[in-house]
Amino acid sequence: MAEGLARFEVSDEDYLRAQWYGLLARLLSAPPDQALLTIVRGLTGDDSELGRGIHTLATAARAATPEAVREEYFNLFIGVGRGELLPFASYYLTGFLNEKPLARLRDDMTELGIVRTDDVKEPEDHIASLCEMMSGLITGEFGEPVDLPRQRQFFATHIACWAPRFFDDLQAAESAAFYMPVGAIGSIFLSIESQAFEMAA
Amino acid sequence: MCQHSFGEFEEGVSEMSKKAAAKMGRRDFFRKAGLGAGAAGAAAAGLSATKGHASVPDKTAANNRGYRETEHVKKFYELAKF
Repeated sequence: MAEGLARFEVSDEDYLRAQWYGLLARLLSAPPDQALLTIVRGLTGDDSELGRGIHTLATAARAATPEAVREEYFNLFIGVGRGELLPFASYYLTGFLNEKPLARLRDDMTELGIVRTDDVKEPEDHIASLCEMMSGLITGEFGEPVDLPRQRQFFATHIACWAPRFFDDLQAAESAAFYMPVGAIGSIFLSIESQAFEMAA
Repeated sequence: MCQHSFGEFEEGVSEMSKKAAAKMGRRDFFRKAGLGAGAAGAAAAGLSATKGHASVPDKTAANNRGYRETEHVKKFYELAKF
């Protein structure tokens, strides 16, 4: 069956939430190529906190080249031996990779019908994967849209308990230039999400 | 009996409007937070290039990706004024 956009009705605000998760997933899963960098350079923001973050990101993108951002990404997340940051839930929650938080995530993924793409080597609790999962849960990418209480539970269990700290670290990271505003945007967006989930509860 | 039913009906209505109010509040909250404004290309960028760490088991989904993305980008621009 073709997976068209009209497959599920998602409200405008939920659609936009999914896009923000998508943007974070895209920027954190790999360094942006020339095409994406060009798009990011053209972004403008309003004077909300999030809008100012986007504005800063566009400015940073205009000052960057794909090569420079690739090197920055490498230093931040991959590194020789290890990168400056380890963007995994398990590491932030236990100090080690591949621990219980990853096992718990895998259980939830099975239950939600999410499988990992074959060519991805990192554990599933990578921040980019988690953002992508949230986006998919909202739009119904993995079957059908998941209701707010279940989104909230996934968010609380796998994201809210560590990702804000990760985004703060990203903002403050020594190697971060282009990724500094990405950290700010992540931070602001997760805080908006937390507050909105509280409202819905 | 009638009274009781009426009471239930009233309760149903207030429950419904409470839900509607919560939904409106949430929508307003996101609007004020700037989820739509400033995201014009941002959302399109987020979608158009997602590499895909997680996916549905159904492999045919990947074949329709291009189509789906184009539709998403169009829908996004409609929402830019959210």
